[in-house]
Amino acid sequence: MTQARMISDEDFRKFREFFYRKTGMLFEDSKRYFVDKRLLERMDATDSESFRAYFTMVRFQASGEELQTLINAMTVNETYFFREEYQFRCLVDSMLEEIVTHTRQQRALRIWSVPSSSGEEPYGIAIYLLEHWPRLDDWDIEIVSSDIDTEILNQARRGRYTHRSIQNLPPSLLAKYFRRDGDHYLIDQELREAVDFTRVNVSDAADMRRHRHFDIIFCRNLLIYFDDLSRKQTAESFYDALNPGGFICLGHSESMSRISSLFRVRKFPEAIVYQKPWEAR
Amino acid sequence: MKRILVIDDAATVRLYHRSILEELGFEVSEAVNGLEALERVAEGDFDLYLVDINMPKLDGYGFLRELRGKDMPQAPAIMVSTEAGANDQKLAFLSGANLYIVKPVRPERLASHVLTLLGMTSNGRGAPS
Amino acid sequence: MALKKPAPTAPSSDDERRLARDLPGLLSALAAADPLARRWAARDLAAHPNASRALVDRLRIETEPSVSQVILTTLTRLGDEIAVAGLTECLRSEDAMLRNAAIEAMKQLPDEVAPVMEQLLKDDDPDVRIFAVDVLESLRHPRVEEWLIRVIAEDPHVNVCATAVDLLGEVGSERAVPTLHALKARFVDEPYIQFAADLALKRIAQG
Repeated sequence: MTQARMISDEDFRKFREFFYRKTGMLFEDSKRYFVDKRLLERMDATDSESFRAYFTMVRFQASGEELQTLINAMTVNETYFFREEYQFRCLVDSMLEEIVTHTRQQRALRIWSVPSSSGEEPYGIAIYLLEHWPRLDDWDIEIVSSDIDTEILNQARRGRYTHRSIQNLPPSLLAKYFRRDGDHYLIDQELREAVDFTRVNVSDAADMRRHRHFDIIFCRNLLIYFDDLSRKQTAESFYDALNPGGFICLGHSESMSRISSLFRVRKFPEAIVYQKPWEAR
Repeated sequence: MKRILVIDDAATVRLYHRSILEELGFEVSEAVNGLEALERVAEGDFDLYLVDINMPKLDGYGFLRELRGKDMPQAPAIMVSTEAGANDQKLAFLSGANLYIVKPVRPERLASHVLTLLGMTSNGRGAPS
Repeated sequence: MALKKPAPTAPSSDDERRLARDLPGLLSALAAADPLARRWAARDLAAHPNASRALVDRLRIETEPSVSQVILTTLTRLGDEIAVAGLTECLRSEDAMLRNAAIEAMKQLPDEVAPVMEQLLKDDDPDVRIFAVDVLESLRHPRVEEWLIRVIAEDPHVNVCATAVDLLGEVGSERAVPTLHALKARFVDEPYIQFAADLALKRIAQG
């Protein structure tokens, strides 16, 4: 019945509110088509008669299984080089500039990229810094990247990519930092040596204690998979993994404002990010 | 069109305030707590804030203190509370509220306060009901 | 100067780790002068089921909000009777930030909070009753609707009823309909109650 298979404006608002509360992901009105499409697919797959029936199941199913499936469907989880590049621009033009201005003593600046996945993000950061941050002549930068999955960490260390991963890179950078290896692209030895890959369960206090003194953390589209309490706990651990004045960058549809009150919202020309206050102890 | 930011953790309250304010021709944005409100403020200017006191993450007092500390044009704020206590009123004004009203909110009173704070009623006959 | 690989294990100043990570060590770290040490202690105490009392005691005197936040997270993880009693006590705090954080924590503990809920909903202080209804917001417990219906049927305070009726719009079923009508009749002069009750009735009818 077409009547029952509609998502009304009211349904959309209710769902958006609920999903935001659960995952911290906010869908703007412009994403309406995308959200409706995914919802209708899931309603089909679960034989739900109406949005209301489906929504009730998502909210009250004890196992939380359908909510997880829905989260997977709503997050396009492909990763590639220079994904959400505007945050890298924010890194070199705003965040690092502020940190360098406040840092009197010469020391290495530290960046943490979690989860590493197959390495596109940390290597992408490295390339971006080499290309766009002139102060790299004066400052050392350390990049650490972590994941809970040891298999994916090994893949990241190998640095071997399909065409899909690199298609966003300008050809000049591809030529400069990769070499062809059959159908694949192998990243430069020098870059592979510049990133430290470590295994971390972000919910584990002991793991987190080994990762400290960072100036910038990239944690994009990870916290959405956690429940409220784990999300808050992880955000609090990140707070202590950062130096005072350090920044954390979340995915473009995530917001720290419903997770933890420890951080300050910072609006830069390129992006909104979250900061541990300079005066924090 | 004047823009108003409604800050309250209860969805029904936001909807209620929105319906009153849109009827008066205002453009309404929403935030569910003080921190999210600060994000909205970072994204664009508002002409007035309607602020609940008790909210998770950052309450109404905390939001106003942060807002008033910012180097930017300051718009009036109405604090909306469930309690009529003198202490809350004092805290609200100290935090930077221009007006303190107690729930439940009556549409005609909210309208009249908003219009007055925005300098939009000059006839002294109060607001449309 | 350039990209540089960090030393295999990240540098750690260890200032906050001088004390042992066993229970007595963590308990003394919880009183350390450095807030960072207190946060780490509070975090690590999640692994110690007997830590609730010490955490609740610390929460009463803690002045650094970031430490209070971590203590609340750990109390939520522990979720035992002492932890719940400590959180409940925070509902009466003058500190709005602490109160709201305790409400958020209690929302995560449906089974543990359920036994004290009846008592909280009958508290003499209407503010405490409002906070208790706030806790019900995302409490996954089979009795939530029943509690909300009783609140809107019996509570004399308009703002307690207003908070409860908001939630009934989300979790209410046919069962709530007669009481919602009765609420409208009881507060016939309150536009907000009329608005929220009508919205709840509409949502229930759509179901």
